[in-house]
Amino acid sequence: MGLEVGTLKVTMDEIAADLARDFAGDLEDVRIQEPDTIVARLAREKLKDVARRLKAHEDLAYETLNFVAAVDLGAQLESVYHVYSWRTNTWIELHVPVPRAKAEVDTVTDVWPAADWHEREAWDMMGIRYLGHPDLRRILLKDDFVGHPLRKDYVDLAENHPHV
Amino acid sequence: MSDFFLTAEAEPDEAVKLALRRIDEAQAAGQGSDVEGLRLNEVVVNMGPQHPSTHGVLRLVVTLDGELIKDVIPVVGYLHRCKEKLAEKRTYFQYIPILDRTEYVAGMNCEWAYVMTVEKLTGIRPTRRAEFIRVIVGELSRIASHLVAVGTFTADLAPLGTAMAFYTFRDRELILDLLEEVSGGRMMYNYLRFGGVRYDLPSGWVEQCRDVMKRMPKLIDEYASLVDDNAIFLQRTVGKGVISQQDVVDYGITGPNARASGVELDLRRTRPYSVYPELDFEVCTAQHGDVFDRYRVRMDEMRQSVRIIEQCLDMLPRGPVQSGSLRAPYVVTPPPGSCYVGQENPRGEYGTYIVSDGSRYPYRLKYRDPCFCNLQLFPKLLRGNKIADAVSISGSMDLVLGGIDR
Repeated sequence: MGLEVGTLKVTMDEIAADLARDFAGDLEDVRIQEPDTIVARLAREKLKDVARRLKAHEDLAYETLNFVAAVDLGAQLESVYHVYSWRTNTWIELHVPVPRAKAEVDTVTDVWPAADWHEREAWDMMGIRYLGHPDLRRILLKDDFVGHPLRKDYVDLAENHPHV
Repeated sequence: MSDFFLTAEAEPDEAVKLALRRIDEAQAAGQGSDVEGLRLNEVVVNMGPQHPSTHGVLRLVVTLDGELIKDVIPVVGYLHRCKEKLAEKRTYFQYIPILDRTEYVAGMNCEWAYVMTVEKLTGIRPTRRAEFIRVIVGELSRIASHLVAVGTFTADLAPLGTAMAFYTFRDRELILDLLEEVSGGRMMYNYLRFGGVRYDLPSGWVEQCRDVMKRMPKLIDEYASLVDDNAIFLQRTVGKGVISQQDVVDYGITGPNARASGVELDLRRTRPYSVYPELDFEVCTAQHGDVFDRYRVRMDEMRQSVRIIEQCLDMLPRGPVQSGSLRAPYVVTPPPGSCYVGQENPRGEYGTYIVSDGSRYPYRLKYRDPCFCNLQLFPKLLRGNKIADAVSISGSMDLVLGGIDR
């Protein structure tokens, strides 16, 4: 595979039009964030399927996952995927809402292997469980840490720290 | 009380348990010992977190079969300082110095990535002189960082002992002196501001910087002459730890590690920011993606950085170093929304993803750290190598744990 950056010259409007055509009904609120990022919302049930199709798309080919960020929006959580397309030299930002009560979403490690540690971090910090992840352990905090500290309702209790 | 002491009965932690479990699974699958009736001839060894060759508090749980590495489980988090949580309790302005402490070898570049993100969220534009000063200090920082990378890496390989590290650290001081004169700090700068930089260049600094830049190429040649033809160095680096282009795509490898595999990915070119489009420099690549190529790409990049700095010193315009009123905006309130800006750090793509709710504090801040992503490839890269090569491969990846653990 040749790995040159930006071999396909397209404008952001054309990419948005392509996505609207090929992912109609999947991607919602597709908008362009200048200069080179598409932002879209996506239901969590469709994540895995859409991720596969985004990666396999013949023109856009979103092949490299940049990072996964978990955000606590209060009413719900959100898992944000930032994916790079070498061919068009642009990015797509997928916002996947995750309900607070049942914070679960499919893993994308089998589509983008780079997601592995980012999903572990999101689980560690925000408590989003990635179903099907091969090794969903805590990554930055210690194994017996209680709670997920980046949630806005996290309370740091002394009894959670028996070693201190 | 017993929590503080390691006893023979001490429960192994999750990473060690995982390594042991994998051995059992391999044994159950019938892979393993050639001598009948023996258990798999494998031992689990902890390398780190206090190990001189891991350059920080990286811990590798290594499964060894004799001298061969069967499996590696990196364990990180020993330097975790809750930087993402800290962001939620500090104003955008108060958070700038904390950036220096993430990837502490190249603090200037980390500040730059954060400041660019906030500038994009708020629409503040830095002045032209400030842009040039940012490029100069950013590239100085890149040289200093690569000097550390190359120096410590060759020290690990031992053909020269620590000689090379002493030379590179000696010359790194030349650059740190320049940065100190500009910002007041050797490594923790707190120099960049929204819309500009904190201080203008002191008088005489430009000439001083020119002098150092004139000496730099000769010094780099000197390092190269020390190791480039050294037979032991070549034996230990050529063909070891090859990163394929597919790995680059799959694992999101960036920076010199990706460029050594022949990938022309350099955000200064592919997602240009600041005044880089006006500057003339080459994106350094190599073909094989092995340990030696990663070392060579870093050496070449230092030469390119010298070129960039010399151009900037020639082109440096007059004018204010801070946009708007002459004081930096202490209170910025970006409109609600989110934004990610990546920037080419010495180690790869470094950036911050910021979610704003319209208040003075970031609602959520997430780092995209190059070392964090590069380290994911480690198990794949090390499997099948000798334990001694693990040291050279990890040295060539140039990890900074401050960035990984945040």
